Amino acid sequence: MTDTGTALRAAGLGKRFGRSTAPWALRDCTLRLPAGRVCALVGPNGAGKSTLLAMAAGLLAPTEGSLTVLGEHPAHARPRVGYVAQGKPLYPQLTVADTLRVGADLNPGRWDAARAERIVAAGDLDPRARVRTLSGGQRTRVALALVLGKRPGLLLLDEPMADLDPLARHELMGTLMAEAAQHGTTIVLSSHVVAELEESCDHLLLIGGGQVRMAGDIDDLLAAHVRVTAPAADADLGGHTVVECRTTGRQLTALLRPGGPLPEGWRTFPPSLEELVLAHLRNPQAPALTPAPAQSQETHA
Amino acid sequence: MTTTTAPAPTAQAAGRPAGRPRLVPWLLRLHRPALYVWAGLVLVLAAALAWLWGPLTDAAAAAWRQYDACDMNTRCSYDQDAILRYKDVYGYTTFAVTALPFVVAAWSGAALFGRELENGTARLAWVQSVSPARWLAAKLALPALLVAGGTGVLVTLHHLAWTAGRGRIDTAKPWTDDLTLHAGGPTTVAFALAGLTAGALVALLSRRALPALALALCVTGAVRAAASWALPHLWPAVVHRSGLGTGYTSGGLEVEHGLITTGGAHIADPGCGPTTIEECRRLYADLHATAFYTRTHPYSHYWPLQLTTTALVLALTGLFVLAAFRVLRRTTGPAAPAAGDTRAEAAKGTPARAGRA
Repeated sequence: MTDTGTALRAAGLGKRFGRSTAPWALRDCTLRLPAGRVCALVGPNGAGKSTLLAMAAGLLAPTEGSLTVLGEHPAHARPRVGYVAQGKPLYPQLTVADTLRVGADLNPGRWDAARAERIVAAGDLDPRARVRTLSGGQRTRVALALVLGKRPGLLLLDEPMADLDPLARHELMGTLMAEAAQHGTTIVLSSHVVAELEESCDHLLLIGGGQVRMAGDIDDLLAAHVRVTAPAADADLGGHTVVECRTTGRQLTALLRPGGPLPEGWRTFPPSLEELVLAHLRNPQAPALTPAPAQSQETHA
Repeated sequence: MTTTTAPAPTAQAAGRPAGRPRLVPWLLRLHRPALYVWAGLVLVLAAALAWLWGPLTDAAAAAWRQYDACDMNTRCSYDQDAILRYKDVYGYTTFAVTALPFVVAAWSGAALFGRELENGTARLAWVQSVSPARWLAAKLALPALLVAGGTGVLVTLHHLAWTAGRGRIDTAKPWTDDLTLHAGGPTTVAFALAGLTAGALVALLSRRALPALALALCVTGAVRAAASWALPHLWPAVVHRSGLGTGYTSGGLEVEHGLITTGGAHIADPGCGPTTIEECRRLYADLHATAFYTRTHPYSHYWPLQLTTTALVLALTGLFVLAAFRVLRRTTGPAAPAAGDTRAEAAKGTPARAGRA
């Protein structure tokens, strides 16, 4: 009944807001996120990242397709899913301590008060301070304490580090990763800044134009691609999947998914994650790279 | 950095039974200022009504006895201040009780629901272990209880105060006065509940605090106006006949009036006047009218009218609740978590984290 190896699975998922003539926010989205990963959900603004996360959190009903979270319908998985919305809404009139009491009241049987208090204490926060008086970083810390106190199996964070200074970002990311690693939590973190996620994440989900453009383990994705430079005259890219190709003078630069051994004389470089992401976003016609439904990663022909 | 264990309950968390969410403490914590304001409002108004019911009514009634005993030819005195004080306090308290449903509607639309949907804290509640439907149910049920209790006490006191003055104070409002009729009856409790639920509905539709406030006030005003209009038609009225020479005679709450023809039909009154005027006599003869009639409610219909109108408004309130749940369900999708199926699955474990975490 329960697919414990999969944290998130979507098939043909689509969401349209309002009337049937409205544009699709997310369309034909099929993906599988193995449990235990820290997944970067990347894409440009308006790509459908927030829509996907809100549907996974059981806040929005899909227009079409199916979505299971920790093997269940999102509405049933609610007690085991943590979600922090963009902007990190909290009750401004409550104190930090009262906010944690809300977590205890609304998550009976799951709430880990010690864990939540530890996260708040690590930030030197006065529990009697009202939420409306807190800085952005402090609010994020309280939001993380509230969501982690629930001991979620899957944690969905919508741009959690946006609007934070680099120091607060580094510190909170550290807190988040330490807590998640200790409890084996699956995390999906959305951002439009790839560099922000590269160090903490081991899985990538790239969304563009409302569709999945690339998905898989970051190491596998990087290993599957190569950046090459070759003399433009004798470069034959046949047999390889070309994501992006540019010719400057007599020099050709390309990002490939090699289909076989590359000719000697071509210079190859491993691409950075950012290069990989940008190349896919710049070239919407490049074939999407997503794992086969039953496997966690794709093997290339 | 790998772990093979699932989120294991800590000793502290495991020691607590997986009971039901504690929604009442949560709601009271969030809306404590509103609770204090409501309690204060009810207390002050209740005190004013109790004052009106006892000392003010007695003093005003005594003053009216003095006034009525006055002989116009000799000097006499009566306590005019007592009469005016009664009139003022009666007017203010009646207005305040009338306004309560609007206060409730504005608060419900703006603060209880609108603000939460606007700034995202509604979603904060929905991502705890509480389904949106349960969130809405709790946010309607507890305030409904407090609103019904508070307004119930106040309309009861208002009714008692008005009854105490009836027949003793010459200028006391008749029962047919719209404000008096509703302020002293269960209809106002129903209006307040309609305001509460209308606030929830319009806030869920608009997801903005300010439009929800304005819309909630409009809907509550419309409900009240519709109820006032419908009230006389919700119980069979009594028909009074009076001769063409005497004109209309009956009192009470009038539904309609007109002329009765020789055939017994009820027709509209051209509004000419009694037959002492020759012109009118001829007009009535042309219309074959034999008498005036009025369809009115005597005071004995007070409770049937109150209760049928209350039932109508409560039915509307039920529709608002139904619509609010439907709007919420359309937004967030169906289904609430089935109880008891979650802990075991959570403990089945997530595999080791691979890679760079």
